Order: sequence, then C-alpha cells, then structure tokens
Amino acid sequence: MSEDIKEEMKKLREEIAGLKKELGELTENQSRRRRGIYIDVGNHVRDYMEDAMEGVAEGISGELRKSIFIGPRGVRIIRGTESDEEEEKEINFEKTATVMSALGHAHRIKILKDLMTGGKYVNELEEKLSEITTSTLLSHLKTLEEAGLVVQEKVRGRYLITIPGRSAYKMAVKVTRFPEGREEE
Amino acid sequence: MNWQNYQLEKAVLKTAENAVLWRTGKGQMEISKGSLAIAIKLGDEKRGYIFHGNGRLILDTIVETREGAIGKPVEKEISAPFIMLGAVEENFTAANQEDLEKMGYEDQEAALTNATELLSRFSRGRRIHEHHCCGANDGQIFAFPSANGKFDLLVANDHSIVYKTEGLVFVTNRERSVLKSSGETVCVANGRMVVVRRHGDFRPQNLQKNAPERTGI
Repeated sequence: MSEDIKEEMKKLREEIAGLKKELGELTENQSRRRRGIYIDVGNHVRDYMEDAMEGVAEGISGELRKSIFIGPRGVRIIRGTESDEEEEKEINFEKTATVMSALGHAHRIKILKDLMTGGKYVNELEEKLSEITTSTLLSHLKTLEEAGLVVQEKVRGRYLITIPGRSAYKMAVKVTRFPEGREEE
Repeated sequence: MNWQNYQLEKAVLKTAENAVLWRTGKGQMEISKGSLAIAIKLGDEKRGYIFHGNGRLILDTIVETREGAIGKPVEKEISAPFIMLGAVEENFTAANQEDLEKMGYEDQEAALTNATELLSRFSRGRRIHEHHCCGANDGQIFAFPSANGKFDLLVANDHSIVYKTEGLVFVTNRERSVLKSSGETVCVANGRMVVVRRHGDFRPQNLQKNAPERTGI
C-alpha cells in the first residue's frame, strides 16, 4: 500500500513540476507582451541573421576594396572620404586630356623632375637637357605652361612647377612603377 | 599748414623716353615715350604724376610653396590715365598740341579737366596730412581706374607689394605672402602655408614646414 502511495506522490510531484514550468513560461510571455518586446520570429531568426551578416560582409569588403591597394610592392592603405561618384562629377575631360598629353613626352617629364627642386631659368634647364635645342626646350615649356603644370615669372623669367604639376609628375612616376613591379613578379 | 589737398600743376608734360616707373624682382611698371604727364603737388612739393599714354604693368602674383607654385602673372596694358604717387625720374618735355590730340584731348585744358576729375575721384575730396604722404624713398602708389568706377591699386616699395584688383588681392614681402583669388586664399607665413577654399573648405594640410624659396623682391 505504502508503495502505491509513494508512486502516486511521485507522479503528482512530476505533474506539479510540469505545471509550474508551463505557468512560468506563460507568465514570462505575458510579461513580454506587456513590455511590447515579444516577437515570435521562430525559424526566421536564423534567415534574418544570415542575410544581415551577408550584407555587413559585403559592405566591409567593398570598403576594403576602395581603401586598400594591394600592389607589387605591398599593401597600401588609402585614406580619403571622397566617393567615386563625387570624383566623377568633377572630371573635366578636356583639361584632363590636355594634362595627360603634356605628360606624354620624356623630355617634359624630365623638365618637371628638374623643377621639383625649385624654380629654374631656361639656361639652367638647358644644362640638364643638353640633348635638345633651346627652341625645343621652349616649346616643351610652353606645352607644360598651357596645361597649367608650370608657370613662368614674367619679371625674372624663371619657370616654377605648380601644385598640379607636382601632383601630375608624382602620379606619372607611380603609374609607371606599377607595371614594372608586376613584370618583376 | 599740415592738412592739404592734392593739386595739379597747370602744365601738361610728356615723357621724353620710355621709362620704368617702378621695378623689383616681382613686378614692374613702364610708360612709353610721348605719354602725357601732369604733376601732382601737395603744397609746394611734387608728390607724383598723372600719366596718360601707353603703360604696361607686369606683376608676378605667384606664391611659391614646397607643394608647388600658386597664381599667375598679371600683365596689363594701361592705356587710360592713371595716378602715380611717389618719386620718379624727371625726364619730361612740354607736350604740344599734337601730343594732346594723340591722347584724344582738344587742348591742354581738356587734359587738365580730365586729370582733375580723376584725382578728385581718387582722393574723394579728403585732405592729406603731410606725414601721411609717402616721401621720396617710401615707395610708390599706383591707382588704375577700373571698369566698375573703382581703382585697381598697387602699393609697392623695395621689399613689399600690395596689389588689389577685381577678384584678386596679392600681398607679399620677404617673409609672407597672401594671394586671394575668387576661389581660394593662400597664406604663406614663416614657412607655413594655409589654403582656405570657398564653401568653408579649410585645408591646413600644409601646416607643416612648407617654406617657399627665399626669393626677395
């Protein structure tokens, strides 16, 4: 008899424990509803998280592509805030072509290199470029001046490299170094 | 009597030779032979001239920095009458009727009337204190009438230049330069450069040592 009672008591305790558990879950759900944060997302949670992570990953890799340049000489981090779209709006194609054309001669690149160290008179440039005539030198200087890469002082006659001229020279040097590096690889 | 008005001489002269009115390493002002010249006086002393002829102004309004040069030279043919205050080499002869007619004046009186009106616009009727006026070694002031009824001004001595025209202000001495154009203002002082662009784009990129070459003027 006592054995039967013990068994009954055990079952009752188990039922009570189960009921207590259900009551606890119901109370918690009601409490969440009252606080307005109960969301029944079920299996959508996993899908949502996967989509979100994919978007974040794409965004990060896009930023990395824009800001990190992996070249033959290593990794270079580019700092900047201008978007490609903004840069495109500012392009003056005619002017860009004029500048690129002005850079399209070895002697003109040499002239820019000489001017990087400071203003020079024509005779000083002639000493460095002895392989060309004075008239050819003046013609090159005129081309560079028209492109806005150099400016001539009217009183003293010295030629000076401008800020765009300095940037153009640096750009030309960088561009030509890149393929050389790749060939070495 | 310390406060006086500028007055004009009653004689109209002309330059006997091509003349350089001002010259430094940064700019020069020339006037051609045969240009009319009327002396400006303060009390009994000559203080300058009003010239009318073929003048030519060259000014290297260029600021040098280690990142490159900014600005362009100014070259202007000056065919309208202009004012010059300061010392000038006296190499004049009397202008005759033919000289006056070349410049579009019927007679000497017409030239003087035009010059008086120009001087009055420049001084705006203000009297000048003797101490305010430049002496023989204090440099020169040029005032060129511009299209909008104002004056382009050039104030220069051996080591400093101030030039103001429509859309451009250029100030320089041995140590410092300021170039203000319509798009940006560039200041180079004590080896440091700051560029301020329109729409509030302030570029102190160059607050590191960025000394321009010492060129003098």
